Amino acid sequence: MRKAVAILLLGIFGYYFASIFLSLPFGEKREGVGKHYLENTISETGSVNTVTSIVVSYRGFDTLGEVTVLFLASTGLGAILFDVRRKKRNEQNASPIVRTTSTVFYPMIILLGAYVFVHGHLTPGGGFQGGAIIATGVLLMFMAYRKFEANHTLLSVIESLAGLTFVTVGLTGLIYGGSFLVNFLPLGTPNDLVSAGVIPIIYIAVGFKVGAELTVVLDDMLKTIR
Amino acid sequence: MLYYIGAISLILIGLYAVLVKKNLLKIVIGLAIVDSGLNLLFIAIGYVKNATAPIFSSESLTADKMVDPVPQSLVLTAIVIGLAVTAVALGLVIRLYDHHKTLDINKIRQLKW
Amino acid sequence: MEFSPVHYIAVPLFAAFLIPLVGKVSKELVKLIPGLVLLYLSYGSIMLFPKGMENPIIEIIAGFKPPFGIALYYGATAAFLVTLVTLLGFVIWLYSYKFIIREPIEKYYMLFMLLITGATGIMLTGDIFNLFVFLEITAIASYSLTAFLRDKDSAEAAFKYLLIGSFSSAFFLLTVMILYTYTGTLNLADLASKADMIPANAKGFALLLVIVGMGIEAEIFPLNGWAPDAYSQAPSPIGAVFAGIVVKAAVYAFIRIIFLFFKTPEVLHFIVIIGLITLIIAEMAALRQHQIKRMLAFSSLGQMGLVILALGIGTTESTSAALFQMFNHAVIKAMLFFAAGYLVFHSGSKLIDSVTGLGYDKPITSFFFSLGALAIIGLPPFSGFWSKLNVLISIASEGEILIIVLILAASVVEAVYYLRIIGKLYTRKEIDSNPRRTPISGLLAMGILAIVIIVIGIYPDVLTQWLQPAAENLLNSEEYIQTGLF
Repeated sequence: MRKAVAILLLGIFGYYFASIFLSLPFGEKREGVGKHYLENTISETGSVNTVTSIVVSYRGFDTLGEVTVLFLASTGLGAILFDVRRKKRNEQNASPIVRTTSTVFYPMIILLGAYVFVHGHLTPGGGFQGGAIIATGVLLMFMAYRKFEANHTLLSVIESLAGLTFVTVGLTGLIYGGSFLVNFLPLGTPNDLVSAGVIPIIYIAVGFKVGAELTVVLDDMLKTIR
Repeated sequence: MLYYIGAISLILIGLYAVLVKKNLLKIVIGLAIVDSGLNLLFIAIGYVKNATAPIFSSESLTADKMVDPVPQSLVLTAIVIGLAVTAVALGLVIRLYDHHKTLDINKIRQLKW
Repeated sequence: MEFSPVHYIAVPLFAAFLIPLVGKVSKELVKLIPGLVLLYLSYGSIMLFPKGMENPIIEIIAGFKPPFGIALYYGATAAFLVTLVTLLGFVIWLYSYKFIIREPIEKYYMLFMLLITGATGIMLTGDIFNLFVFLEITAIASYSLTAFLRDKDSAEAAFKYLLIGSFSSAFFLLTVMILYTYTGTLNLADLASKADMIPANAKGFALLLVIVGMGIEAEIFPLNGWAPDAYSQAPSPIGAVFAGIVVKAAVYAFIRIIFLFFKTPEVLHFIVIIGLITLIIAEMAALRQHQIKRMLAFSSLGQMGLVILALGIGTTESTSAALFQMFNHAVIKAMLFFAAGYLVFHSGSKLIDSVTGLGYDKPITSFFFSLGALAIIGLPPFSGFWSKLNVLISIASEGEILIIVLILAASVVEAVYYLRIIGKLYTRKEIDSNPRRTPISGLLAMGILAIVIIVIGIYPDVLTQWLQPAAENLLNSEEYIQTGLF
């Protein structure tokens, strides 16, 4: 009964939904703000990666909100799981193959993550992607070694400092450039590592923050079975 | 065109899972599928035929041969938000399991709907 | 540095990121930070308020003009609501100061501050995707705070809220997608000016998505199933934040979007009807409740139904009456939640029956509860009287007698269940005198709100002079488009 109602509802919704999108031509160029961004990204922000220039510069305020959402998730999870009863977890480590591979790969994954967020304005990637890669490395270690501990104090300090860096960059822009998050550094030569003004600074802070936050989230959840 | 159908199907599958499934974890998975469907749909909207990624890494690339960068950057934000919601949802599932020792939604419902 | 609208977002965020560091030094300092931030924002609000009332302030973020960058829109309506939110937020912080004694206190204050920031962001932003981001900030903070007490029911209430909230965010994201696809822009003013580019069937679908998606957040019937649980299971100050701040932001965003894109007589008529249904069903449900905070939650839904109804009428008088009602509801319902929080604490039970006789044992808290109850029913000389009267007058001038009759009927129901509690409070009954006292900070918070209720009740003109420009700003989409795009 419940299934039939759900299918019926979704059928009507899906038909309506599909009829809107099927009348939409696929793969055609559309006029809009996207065009402006593509044409002006290098002259206005100095970043060759247009997606990065939108995320960090044109719509940087969204990214500040996004960072806040992640911060909220890790804080909220900490509050929700504050005193959940600990359960006994299997103490045995993973097999030697997994352990050896993880130990070898762990530093490389961290390095790759750092590379991705440092080069956010030049290549595909950025703070969120880099941070996620770093957290994957930590997850690998969590799986390989049961006793692998994340240093909570250090992580929360990193989280805070990275967040403060982001807002401070924004406020500096407000004081010296007249609007929040505005670029106040020279743009440099496009395609150089040190270019695009404040974008790399913000993305490095975001990378640290996301890496630390996702690690905290993983650790909070794992703790419920330690 | 196929991309739209695929993404819309994913959204519907996810919504179906949320509406019908009784297991809390399956409901959370359903939410994640809806998110993925929405993100794919948005990326598909921004696609331009024969165009490349919006990164000016060499001189030969021009703005009129690139896909729309706006959906991509919005999806980046949407992914992060989806992840945050999923994390909180899983935390609540752990809590509920801790209290009730079950993941079946029918056995948990104590508050009147 | 002069106070500008972006401070509403930037300063609390800075403080929220600072709290974990400060927490390593002193726990007491952590409790003070949100209060200081909200005090600073309240001061800034009062400075900025007259300017915003005269001319909308558009603040550009990151130095790119709209529609390319994000801009904050601080118009008269936003000025009115944001000032209300920051002042009320400060009072709620004052109440929380002694009320929240459960660990992790540090996380409570971070979530509390970010919840208010998210709601402020919803009111201020001039960009539809940014609106989505702030909606999510508000939502995630709400989910976590609903589960803050960590008992069985609160986890379940939070999960229910999260489930329904996820539908809301998915539908809203889909709306953003459709609007972007056809217009190629995300700025609200620019979108509204290009609304004709959207074909009729896509527009209809977007309207459906907005009503479902935003309706969940704005708590319209039948999408408000999560609200009574969340309100009653969250800690009392958070109940006050939900009723006083979060739902106000959601209703504002809902109505702003409807007025900008879908303002046709049919849609407005539909909004009047759903507002009316929400009002009646919620008041009937409130009558049947046995728990005091659940009853307040249903009453809150009813009040918001009245606000939505009045907004749907769409005249300047009705809109300003709706804003007045929003103000009153925020202040009075916050006070009721405050008092109910301590009544529950003193009696040790959530049930209405257990407050019997508390009026003699805990006279001050009971007095504040009774005052709030009388004010929200709409008795003179309290502020609730004037807003309800204004709503009724504005509907009467449209000649909708049936609606007036139904509203009055709902008010009678409302009076019955509130007077029932007051009656119980002042029924003599032998109870063991409870040595626990309501702390000074809690009494101070309730006292401030009581003074506001009485002063506005006696001199409503203090407030009503600001309602006219705020209502005009909300109704005038042309002006929004012109000022929003320079």
